[in-house]
Order: sequence, then structure tokens, then C-alpha cells
Amino acid sequence: MDPRLERHLHLTRREFFSRSATGLGTAALATLLGRESRGHAAGSQPPVPGGRIPGLPSLPHMAPKAKRVIYLFQNGAPTHVELFDFKPRLLAEHGKPVPDSYIGGKRFSTMTGKADGKLLLGPIEPFRQHGKSGAWVSSLMPYTAAVSDELCFVKSMHTDAVNHAPAISLLLSGAQIPGRATLGSWLSYGLGCETDSLPAFVVMTSVSKGTTCGQIFYDFYWSAGFLPSRYQGVKFRASGEPVLYVNSPTGLDRAVRREMLDDLAQLNAIKQREFADPEIATRVAQYEMAFRMQASVPELADISNEPQHILDLYGPQVREPGTYAYHCLMARRLIERGVRFVQLMHAGWDQHRSITTELYTQCKDTDQPSAALVMDLKQRGLLDDTLVVWGGEFGRTPFIQGDLNDRPHWGRDHHPYAFTVWLAGGGIKPGISYGETDDLAMNVVSQPVHVHDLQATLLHQLGIDHERLTFRFQGRDFRLTDIHGELVKGILS
Amino acid sequence: MHPRNRLAAWIGWWVGIQTWTLAPAAAPTAASPSFSREVLPVLSEFCYPCHGPDEKARKAGLRLDTADSAFLKAESGKAAILPGKSHESELIRRIETQDPDDVMPPPRLKKSLSLEQINTLRQWIDAGAVWGKHWAFEPPIRTSAHRIQDSGWARNELDRLVLQSLESSHLKPAPEAARQILIRRVTLDLTGLPPTPTEVDSFVNDTRPEAYERLVDRLLGSRHYGERMAWDWLEVARYADSNGYQGDSDRTMWPWRDWVVSAFNNNLPFDQFTLWQLAGDLLPNANQEQTIATGFCRNHMINGEGGRIAEENRIDYVMDMTETVGTAWLGLTLTCARCHDHKYDPISQRDYFGLFAAFNQTPVTGADGNPQAAPNLELPSETQSTERTLLQSLHKEASQRLEMAEIQKFPRADNQPIKTSEKFQELPKEIQEHLAIAPDQRDSGRLDKLAAHWKNSDAVYTGLLADLKGIRDRQSRLNSAIPKAMIMQDRKEQRETFMLVRGLYNKTSEKVDYRLPAVFSHPTHSAQQNRLGLAQWLVSPANPLTARVVVNRFWSQFFGIGLVKTPEDFGAQGEKPSHPELLDWLASEFIESGWDVKHLCRLIATSATYRQSSAGDPSLYERDPQNRLLARGPRFRMPSWMIRDQALAASGLLVDKTGGAPVKSYQPSGVWEEATFGNKRYTQDHGDNLYRRSVYTFWRRIVGPTVFFDATPRQVCNVKPPRTNTPLHALTTLNDITYVEASRALATLILQQARTPAERVDLAYRRLLCRVPTSKERRVFLNAILRYTRRFEQDPTAADSLLEAGESRRDRTVPSAELAAYTVVCSTLFNLDETLTKE
Repeated sequence: MDPRLERHLHLTRREFFSRSATGLGTAALATLLGRESRGHAAGSQPPVPGGRIPGLPSLPHMAPKAKRVIYLFQNGAPTHVELFDFKPRLLAEHGKPVPDSYIGGKRFSTMTGKADGKLLLGPIEPFRQHGKSGAWVSSLMPYTAAVSDELCFVKSMHTDAVNHAPAISLLLSGAQIPGRATLGSWLSYGLGCETDSLPAFVVMTSVSKGTTCGQIFYDFYWSAGFLPSRYQGVKFRASGEPVLYVNSPTGLDRAVRREMLDDLAQLNAIKQREFADPEIATRVAQYEMAFRMQASVPELADISNEPQHILDLYGPQVREPGTYAYHCLMARRLIERGVRFVQLMHAGWDQHRSITTELYTQCKDTDQPSAALVMDLKQRGLLDDTLVVWGGEFGRTPFIQGDLNDRPHWGRDHHPYAFTVWLAGGGIKPGISYGETDDLAMNVVSQPVHVHDLQATLLHQLGIDHERLTFRFQGRDFRLTDIHGELVKGILS
Repeated sequence: MHPRNRLAAWIGWWVGIQTWTLAPAAAPTAASPSFSREVLPVLSEFCYPCHGPDEKARKAGLRLDTADSAFLKAESGKAAILPGKSHESELIRRIETQDPDDVMPPPRLKKSLSLEQINTLRQWIDAGAVWGKHWAFEPPIRTSAHRIQDSGWARNELDRLVLQSLESSHLKPAPEAARQILIRRVTLDLTGLPPTPTEVDSFVNDTRPEAYERLVDRLLGSRHYGERMAWDWLEVARYADSNGYQGDSDRTMWPWRDWVVSAFNNNLPFDQFTLWQLAGDLLPNANQEQTIATGFCRNHMINGEGGRIAEENRIDYVMDMTETVGTAWLGLTLTCARCHDHKYDPISQRDYFGLFAAFNQTPVTGADGNPQAAPNLELPSETQSTERTLLQSLHKEASQRLEMAEIQKFPRADNQPIKTSEKFQELPKEIQEHLAIAPDQRDSGRLDKLAAHWKNSDAVYTGLLADLKGIRDRQSRLNSAIPKAMIMQDRKEQRETFMLVRGLYNKTSEKVDYRLPAVFSHPTHSAQQNRLGLAQWLVSPANPLTARVVVNRFWSQFFGIGLVKTPEDFGAQGEKPSHPELLDWLASEFIESGWDVKHLCRLIATSATYRQSSAGDPSLYERDPQNRLLARGPRFRMPSWMIRDQALAASGLLVDKTGGAPVKSYQPSGVWEEATFGNKRYTQDHGDNLYRRSVYTFWRRIVGPTVFFDATPRQVCNVKPPRTNTPLHALTTLNDITYVEASRALATLILQQARTPAERVDLAYRRLLCRVPTSKERRVFLNAILRYTRRFEQDPTAADSLLEAGESRRDRTVPSAELAAYTVVCSTLFNLDETLTKE
């Protein structure tokens, strides 16, 4: 666009905003600057220049260690037994029945029913110790193994739910029943957004090719629940437009769109003088952000300026939109541009009958990109204040699902009693392993970490006391950790 | 301090070990704060989590939710509340103390009372601590306004009550809105569509004194009224066209949706509307309509996930039905009482399962993800019924012909089974098996196998087999085409109901029978002990909640916010009504009118309150941004479905057809596929189905239609659709094909119907905003038309591709550049704040 025209338009807009602001006073100004829509007020917010979403004035509760989070969510529940939680006894007793003392009275999914007499299944690939920290990592995950000195493995995770959707909902929203606000929406509500041209909370979903899993990415996994819907995660799509409706219709170019928005601003300003409704100014601000998103989203998705060695780091699939590798690179680009929370969800870990087949593809698709993301953030100095979390909704049974004589169809069922996640950056101690399971990787025996504890710890790293970030809904003050959650101090650096 | 020590401290006080220090005496005041409106909310918020109705959570054995227990003297001689003496009330001392071990609420909870709240408690105790019930549990009282000065403004009692509160806030009502604004407002509110320019003109020029009332009556009589009113009820009823959860199979509940539209149009009284939907099947000689209505209960999600336990599913469904009644009629958060006694409201877990028992009697097993889990009602059209009869007789004839042929082909003694034929015994085992089944019982598969066996040897016989198979196939096609709506039905044998520990399906405890929550029990309530009894109680005079809860929702359809801002919660933690007397008056009037919904809508729509202009001075918007004081008319962004309907109507694209199977309009490709890993493919409709009213759009539960923003997720009952303002909404109305096509259609229409650019802009304004633009506004558009025309003349390809949006036919007689320019201008108009807003 002609720079002179641009300046003129800029002036028009600025004039409008300043006029609105002075004419309306502070309450209107807060609304103008993009906080609450009328009908859903939740306390007044201080204005932030540029129209981006501000956080709560009471936050942070303490000095934050991390400014943003990338959650690499492994949907379907990766097998902790094969990947990170090495148990020589399990290998030694491969094929023997589970000792009763390990499973007494526990509930498993209906596919397993009673676990009595199920046969133990040793990890299918060897483990080795890596790095200075000596972390045990399976040979299925060579790239992750190579960066293990940057990671903190929490091996004592446990959860309450035994089916996928309730367990994922519990992990992301603090409750098994859908409908509560999820982690990302809490963060954008509490801390606001650092960019005025992208949403605060972005979601991307992928699935390995050829997987037989049937899980669905429900949109309640990134719901704002009872929080105003503006805090809901915005899904970046794998096909078509990255964000729904972000592209102008063909034939309508950016200059025309700019002129349209200037006309709209002018006409809305006339209306505002007549009606004094501050909602009008908010709408103008939202249209302006929409316009910025129309430019920033394609710019974000354009990876042609990424140098070859960076692309190589993420592996061969990085150029293919919709793959896990592509999304890992996007996650870095998003947080570089001020996005608060990236929730990357990758399905295909639900290996009931395919540990010896699909687990390999799954690891191949995710191992290199996950490790690359950590290293890429580190070399840019972003790992210090970016928290990366890798993990699923529960673990998998140390005993077999299927027939021991039918190796091609070996599988493991859902296992809520123990699983492993790893964290990196954001003030988490690198190169350690925290918590322990018993010698069959069945139950947590030391330093247990419930999903609510993990949530409390994530919030803490962002400067939030999980007991104090609340929202009143249906007469109750809700919080992410419900009425639970203890900070896991042992993993903080 | 460790929680256990704190508990000990409480008990220490309670048994009178602690010494007493005298608190400074509060000045006695004459007027007591209202218990239900001022005191109870404070007690509820700060005390009830540990000293309220939930017995299991109760600390130190102290409860403050009943007068008896709160006044009870401990051995020390002190009571938590000593009426008349706040300074001797332990409650006040414990709130005010600086001792971190003693202070209440405990510092651990990170909650403390404001000075104002403490004063309220103090004044109330000093004035005698008069106990009462939470306001919503007392029956509504019909009062009239008696303190108003400006009586000329009010048009009905509603207005007098509003005026009374305005005057007490030292405010004056706003003047009446201009007629153009008024007709747009009321037409959108009552029909969900904008008025046509002719309708606007005839109203504006109608000089008769009752012109506006006539307009309202016309709109209430329009069949579009039912479509508009249905939308909100579909959200309450969590209506969708699929099951939800993994699999998300399609279902055909749309006959129920059509019933809702017609129920509103026929003005079925709300008490009947209630009875039919909750228990129509239990009414004496229930007719088809009453049976379809019970689909309301069955609109819940159905879980078809593998590995799920059937009984767990079934319990989920029954809980959903119970809680839906709680939210939709009672405005109570029953969900809390699933697992434990309610923390704030007098609803015990036992009460919850007492209601649960009413819905626990259907034959539903929860066993599969069948989208049409029985019981169902088949609803064949007339043609389908005729076809069904015809196919039955064809089937009979063809079976008989085949039977005759088989008697000849496989000879045996008279009346002996085919098995006795020697020819039969020579056949392969599998063929014998198919043949042993009588022809009229054989399914398509068996017929196919037999035909294959004789394919090359007996043309006549295989012909007969093929005939019968053809008929069979037609029958099964017909059966799957006949809509089936899920309905309610109770088993003959009562299912026993048990309380469930922490709401877990397999942790049963005490057996419970159906009964109303204890707080509502009424000695004279002798209705049937089932769903019908429950429904009858919901709409009986003994129920203090239903009418209030329902009028509050209807009110918010017009004003954008309820008199009670928390329509989902009328309990102790819900918001107090902004106009308690008005709410009660409306509720009483609603009941006395015979639950007449149109009467209620008419009352609201014809009130002076509703007719106020929404243009307010900045100080008023600042003082009352949500318009809770009602010193101006309603002004808020329309729901997204209404914005779409408005666009279709104003552009002339709307296909105004009522009812029927849901339609699939434009949606960006890959949305369903991505959410379901390709299991559900979106097949967009063509032609008329692209332009039907939004209420007929197919609703996939796991991913709703993308064109509707801020819609409720249709998973559980929702009485409070969100209304936010985000860039994603802007992107939708700017870029979705629906709106681009509507822009082109409106552009075409104004180019055809008006001559000059100015007249065209005026016409577009009239069709969308019911007014002509000011000269300044017109100038903005005229400039834009010139600019865009020039631009598109230079770039004809751009013009042509813009004009390709949508499937309706493009008018080729208009030059591309001009049509494209007008299209952009109309798109600007569709995105104006005024267009998106009902003002």
C-alpha cells in the first residue's frame, strides 16, 4: 500500500480511537481496549495499548519463571513401560502372571476387566542410559534420548480416569466431565496475550498416518468452559485455511479490505456518537485485530525463510502441513510471536493391539520433532522462559492385552496408576528424574504426582497461585485444580 | 495453622473452654437488612462451604443454614448468633478477630468478608436476626407499584414497577425509539427476521393509536414466531442431530424440533408445554403430538465409545435428564448434589436421587451407541405409509409365488416341510439352510445366496427369487427412510433407584423412591409418584421457581440479560434479581394468564420499557453498561443465527420453508473430517437447502456448524448463550461464503430495483436497517462504489472471482466491475455494528 495512504488511514483510526476514548471515560475505555463484552463483566481491566487482551490486574501472584507454554499432548496415552520407565524385573518376568499384590481391587477398562492372572509383557526394545544425567530412555526415542540432559522426567504421574476423553478432560480442565475451562484458557484469561495479531491460545491437532486409533479431538479439550468464549483455544487447521475464515474471499485483496474497514470504522464512529455504546468501539477494535490476523496468520504459516539446518533439525516431515513435525516448528513460531499457550495434540498412542507395529511409526513421527523443538528453543534463548511439556492422559499396562504367542498383535491397555511425562525449560530442573514406580512400573511408590499437582506446578511457573486464580460460575468459585493440587517443589530449579 | 488444629479451635470455643473477650458494641439500628437478599448471600458465600447444608463437609458440627442451629447455645453459654446482640455473637467475633488461628473463614481459603458485609451481618443480628428462606424458595408475590410520580409514561404494570426503581435511582426513562428502529427491534425479537421495506413503511405511516400493538399482534401470529422462539428452547433442550461422543452417529430428532416450532406457533400454554415434554407419554390417551414432545428428555448425548460400561452410560443419561429439569425449570444447580449434599442450597444428595428416580424407569439400557436407541416413535409421511402397505402386499404375493415354485421344484408329500424332499437333501448344507427358511421370512442375503446357486440352471426360479429380493430391499430402504424420533416410556416393572456414592454408577448405597426435594415437599401434594407427578408439580402453584425461571429467560430474549443475571442459578449463590418485584409480578401474571407465552411476549414487547430508545448519553452507558436499570431500550449484538437469517432475508436469498429434515449449508471443507479422523464427511446440500432458516441447519454435536459463533455447544442443557466480541466473529461475517454470497445477492437486487447509486444505497439500508442513511453515511458508500468500480475495472479477474462465491445464479447482465463494487459495499453494510446489533 502507498505509505502516504497508510499514514492517512492510520490517522483516521487514531483519531477515532482517541475521540472515543476521551468521549467515553474509563469504563468505556476498558471495553474499547478489548476486555469484557457487555453481559459478562468480570471486573474492570487496565487498558493495554494496541487492543490486545490484557491479563488480570492481580496477576502474577509471584515472579514468573516462564512466560509461555508449549504442551506437546500425546493423545491416546503413550506406553511409559516401553519409553521411559525402565524396569529390569519386567523384562526378566516377561510372560509370567502379574503378582496379585500389584493389582488388588484396581479398576481397569472393560477391555481388560479384571487384571488377575494377566501376563507381564517386557519392553519390546532395549533401554540405555544417556547423557550426564544418565537418564534411561528406550532406543525407540533416540532423539529424545540425546536431549535428555535438558529434560525433567516425572515418572510418578497418576490420574483418576480410565477412559480417554474423561482423562484428557481431567488433565486439561481439572475435571473429567467436559465443560470447565482448560489450562490454555485459564492462562489467557489470567495473563492476557502478548500479541495483538494472534490469539493467546492456539491448538493444533495431528495424527500419525496409518494409525488404527479412533480417538476424536473434542473441542472441549480447548474450551473456555465458563470463561468468556474469547479465551477459548483457536484451532489452527491442518487443511485449508489455518484459521477458519481467515482468508478474504478470492478477488478481494488486502487494499480493498483495508478500505472496507476504514469505512466501517468511520460509519461505526458516527453511530457511536449517537448511541454512546462502548461496545461499538470494541467491535471496531476486534475488526482491526481480525485484519492483523489476516496478515499474521499467513506470515506465520510461511516457512520459506527458515534456514535448511533448522528444517533438518525437525526432520523430513516438517514441510508437510498437518504433521507433528510441522506443528512443532509452528509452535516455536507461534511463541516467538507472543502466543501464550500452544496446545499441540497428536493422536495415535492407543496401542491396544499394535505395540509391535504402530508404536514404531508413532515414535518415528514424534521423537525427532519434539527433541528438535527443545533444542531450537534453547539455541534461541527461548527455553529459559518457555515451558515445554510432553505427555499423555495416562500410561499403559505393564501386562499384555492380547495373546503372548501372537507378537504382531501385542498390546497394552489403559493404565491410570502410573505414567511418565517430561518437562523442559521454564524454570524446571533439567536432567533429573522425579518420582518412582514399583519394579513392574505398575504403581507409583515414591513422590506421586497427580494431574492436579502437575497443573498447580505449571501455573506456579507462570507466576500463578493455583488456589487464587478462580472464576465464579453457577454460584461457585471454580479453579483449574478443582479443590486439589500441590506444587511439585522437587522439580523446580 | 494445621486444619486439624483449627477444627480443635472451633470445637474448643463450641464446648466453652475458650475465654470470651468482649467485642466493641455495635450501634443498634432499627432497620434490618433483608435476610434473603443481603444476609443469606454472605452466609452462603463465606460460611456454608463448611457450615451449610452438606452434612459430610460440616466442620465442628456447626451449621449456620437454619435458625435453630445457628442460635443454639453451646455449653459456654455462647451462641454463633445471639439475636439482638451482635457483640455477643461468636460469629461476628470469629470474623473480626486478628488471631490467625481463630479467624473465619480460615486464611487457607483466601477469602475474607468486606467491612460492608460484616456490617450487614451485625445490623441484621442487632435487629433481631430474623430468619427467612432464600428469596427464590418463597412463592412470588404480586405487588403493584405505589411510589411512582411520573404516571404518564407507564403503559402497563410492568412499566410502573420499572419506573418505581428508576425513580428511586433518580433516573428518567429514555424517550420512545423512532418507529423504524422499533419495528426492526420487535420484528427481529419476535420472528428472528428483519421487516421488509413495505412493512416498515406501513407501520411508519400507520397513524392509528394502536398501530404498534397491531404490529406486535401481527408478528405474534406469524409462523416465523415459532421458529424464532424455538432456537432458545433447542439450546435449553441440548438438541442436536447427532449423538455426540466418539462415533457421533446421526439421529433423527427433528420431528421433535418441528413440534417445538408448532407448539410456540399454536401458543401451547407453558404448563402443557412442560407436561407434554416431560411426561406426555403418561397422559391419559396420549396422542402422537404428546408422545413426540417427550423427545425433549431424549435429546441427551449417547455414548457409543467401545469399552464403555452400559450401565454407566445409562446412569449418565438419567443424570442428564434430571439435571436438565433442574436447570430449565428450577434454575437450580442440581449437578452439585450428584455426589454430595449441595454446599449452598437445601438440596441433599437424597433429594437428587429422589428426582433421578422419576427418569430412571425407561427401558433404555445404555448398551450401544445406536443413534435411535429405543423407545422410538416412527413417523412415516403419508406417502411412506401408502408405500409401506403396498410393499407389504407385494411381499406377500411374491413370497406365495416363490413358495408355489418351490413346492414344484422340491416335490414332497402334501403339507410336509421342504426338508423332506429328496431333491432338497442333495443340496449343499449352506443352501439347505437358506431354503429351510420359509420364503416370507427369508432376508435379502439368503435370497441372494439361493439365486447365485441356481444362476445358470433355473432362470424362472432365480427370477422369482430376484423379485422377492427387490421388494425386500425396497422395504428396508423405506424403513430406514422413515423418521424415527426417540421418546419416553416407562417400564412396566419399576426399576429400583439407589443413591450413588460420589455419583459413581457402580457404588450404590441406600435405596430411594421418587420424591420431591424436602425443601419443596408439600402436605397437599398428592400427585402421581412419577415423571407426570413431577411435571405437574413443576407447573403447580406450590412451586415457587418455575414461573420465575421461565419468565426470566423470556425477558432476556428481549433485553439481552435476565432480571436475574444468572438464569442457570436461582439458588443462594445466584445473582439477586435486579427488579425483584417485577420478576415476581411477571411470574404471577404468567401463571394467572394460564401460562400464556404470547401474552407474556406481548406484555414485554408493548411495554414502554421495551419501547425506549437505546441511544443513551455516555454517562448512562458508563453508569449502567449492562442496562440493568432499564433506563434505556435494549441494544446488543444479535445471536449469530439471527445475523445469518437477517442476511438471507435482506438479500432475498431466504427459502422460507417450514420444518423437515435438517439441511447442510456452506461450511469450509475438512471441518468434520478433521474432528473425526475422516469418519464423518460433510456433504454440503445444494439449491434451496443452502438458504433455509438457521434453525433447520444440521447440528453435529462434536463440531457444530462453523457459521454460528457464540452458540451453545448443545451437549448439556444451557440457558445462557455466550455473547462475546472477538476477531473470529469478524472474520466469519467478513469471509464466510454465506455472507459474501448474500452481499452479491443484495448488490444484484439493489442494482435491479433502483436506478441511481444513491437510491441503491438507500434501498440496501432500508432492507437491512429499516431506514435511509444520513447524507454523511450515504457519501461514504457512494465514494466506496466509485473507488471499487475503478479498481475492479482495472482487475476484471478479481471482480469475476469475487462474484463466483456461492451457488446462486449470478446476474450476467450487470457488468462485473460494477456488481463486484456493489458486492463489497454490501459486505461493508453486513458488517456494520448497527447491522449486527438489535438496537
